[in-house]
Amino acid sequence: MSASAPLAKVPVEERLFSLVLALLATETGLTKSDILSTVQGYRQRYQPAGDNANLERQFERDKDDIRDLGVPLETIDTPGQSGNNQNLRYRIPRGVYELPADIRFSAEETALLGLAAMVWREGSLSSESRRAVVKLRGLGLVAEEPVLAYAPRLRVRDAAFEPLRTALDRNAIVRFAYLKPGEAEARVREVAPLALVQHQGRWHLHALEPQTEITKTFLLRRIVSAVTMTNATIAAPVGDQTARALAELEQVWQSHSAEVEVVPGSDADTRLRKRRGTETLPDGTLRLHYSDANIFADELAGYGPEAVVLRPPVLRAAVRARLLATAAGHGAPSLVTSSLDAEPYDGEVARG
Amino acid sequence: MADRSVPMQAQDKLAFLLSLVPFLMEHDRISVQETADHFGVKPKAVRDAVELIAVSGIPGETGQYQHGDLFDLAWDDFEENDQIVLTNLVAIDDAPRFSGREAAALIAGLQYLSALPENADRSAIDSLMAKLARGASALPSQVAVEGSESDATLALIRQSVSAGVQMEFDYLNSRGEHERRRVDPLRIESVDADWYLRGWCHLRKAVRTFRIDRISEPVVTTEPISFHAGEVSLPDTLFEGTADDLPVTIDIVPSALPLVADYIPEGTKTTQVDGRVRANILVSHYHGLKRLIAGLPGMVTVVAPEEARRVVADWANAGVARYADDTQ
Repeated sequence: MSASAPLAKVPVEERLFSLVLALLATETGLTKSDILSTVQGYRQRYQPAGDNANLERQFERDKDDIRDLGVPLETIDTPGQSGNNQNLRYRIPRGVYELPADIRFSAEETALLGLAAMVWREGSLSSESRRAVVKLRGLGLVAEEPVLAYAPRLRVRDAAFEPLRTALDRNAIVRFAYLKPGEAEARVREVAPLALVQHQGRWHLHALEPQTEITKTFLLRRIVSAVTMTNATIAAPVGDQTARALAELEQVWQSHSAEVEVVPGSDADTRLRKRRGTETLPDGTLRLHYSDANIFADELAGYGPEAVVLRPPVLRAAVRARLLATAAGHGAPSLVTSSLDAEPYDGEVARG
Repeated sequence: MADRSVPMQAQDKLAFLLSLVPFLMEHDRISVQETADHFGVKPKAVRDAVELIAVSGIPGETGQYQHGDLFDLAWDDFEENDQIVLTNLVAIDDAPRFSGREAAALIAGLQYLSALPENADRSAIDSLMAKLARGASALPSQVAVEGSESDATLALIRQSVSAGVQMEFDYLNSRGEHERRRVDPLRIESVDADWYLRGWCHLRKAVRTFRIDRISEPVVTTEPISFHAGEVSLPDTLFEGTADDLPVTIDIVPSALPLVADYIPEGTKTTQVDGRVRANILVSHYHGLKRLIAGLPGMVTVVAPEEARRVVADWANAGVARYADDTQ
């Protein structure tokens, strides 16, 4: 295994593993040239007197890949030589790399975490939870078999989700076109993502508008363009942004209520009654909460004649317009042509 | 993002290597098979990883990867008995932390599962989430799912499974018919906000899927169950086709495609018609279809057959009639 040995190609995972081992083992850190000239997978391609630009780029990508796994790769300046890139030293501090000794999981907890990981079946959340489970298994615990078999699944169907999640982790400002109901054209927004939260089955972006210092909540479904990440960033926000975002959405949900008459024993009766927070009024009418009149109108329209909105008028009109549109689209004569948009709540909550 | 030189596979392998080493350190001697079972991987994946670990190490003082700078393995025991015994260790002392994103994925998953009876103890869940956050090398990313109240029907289902007895409940099918069903519960499934029970239905003598929110008056009976979860093979897809399914052609506004993706079987050929996507789907009856279509107004339209269009139009018109007093 000397540096001049003829090269069999070193597999990527061997190079990454060797890099982690080398950086864990060093107290004082290794310089880039130490790494490229000695670490398995780099040293085979290192040119002692030549140009190692390709290898340096490889090292940059490898650093990102390792950090993605939660390995804390640190850079330290050599005293008196700050600013000189060639003298930066790299290491992985043990204390931040290793799982603290008091963090261990019971068989019951391991089972729950296994279920939590199962929830994600697609996208980056799925590969990340799979890796988290591998790390959990490395702790040696065996999960307790759950009494009841579960197959939970949470989908992330909005194309905007992944780019927003990446921007969120980098505190980067993003740009996207957002279509507010009632507006004919989408408007381009420039915001700094603070949190991504799922409320009532739909993903929302909680974000800061840098120009106005106002936080707003956007429904991912209404983002109609690709999300572009800009080079601008904001200082990492302090505190639990998700809790604040969920609390605001909850407030919106609480503040909107509708009275709906349902046909007893119908699907609408059975299912709407089971919705969270539904109250039955003395005359049998249901009082239901909702966040977004347009989305709730879609849901209610699905019940056809089984549910009639008594109030508010704007929701009543929205449901009727939807039923008319469906009837018209399926061959029945259209009585009116009206916009499907209900006015008041538009999926964008401003907070001053 | 898409243009990564390192395939995700290599990163996953690295995570496995970094987790496998501390696991093997805890076990002085363990078989390849046991290790594979524990991690849920193929024995070959374990063998490959162990072989790589055994020749890996640190450059060391000399920068030459000398013998003492490498992991070592009892090779004979490994090659002849498929047993893993590490005889020299370097660099790694303990298990790695979670990344901020990994911790966030598990935390959000736990939040989503808050309706499960297993999660009724909220303080235990909170402390588990706090532990995950502390076990991450960076702040978990700000991704969260709204929690929900523990569901009473799910709790009863779990109770009947642990007692090994049948459940009985009133079920309203999508045709609008009420029936008293007796069921051996097999599995709880969910897709986003919708929860389902898969079970052996004694009335239909077959496995059936029930929407939890269409179940009412559930009771745990004293009648023992005929089938356990392990005895019935359940397909992964929630909606299974049958020979009686009816073909329907629909047009979909492209932006609404994700909303109906579940109804379009994989590999379905679609065509573009006037800026809309045309697809052929199978439905068990038009009563389910009319609810689906009326709930996606303006986004999805039934093109054929004529009878399906009529059922949808009748449903919508019956709805409009309930607003007869409204003008404009």
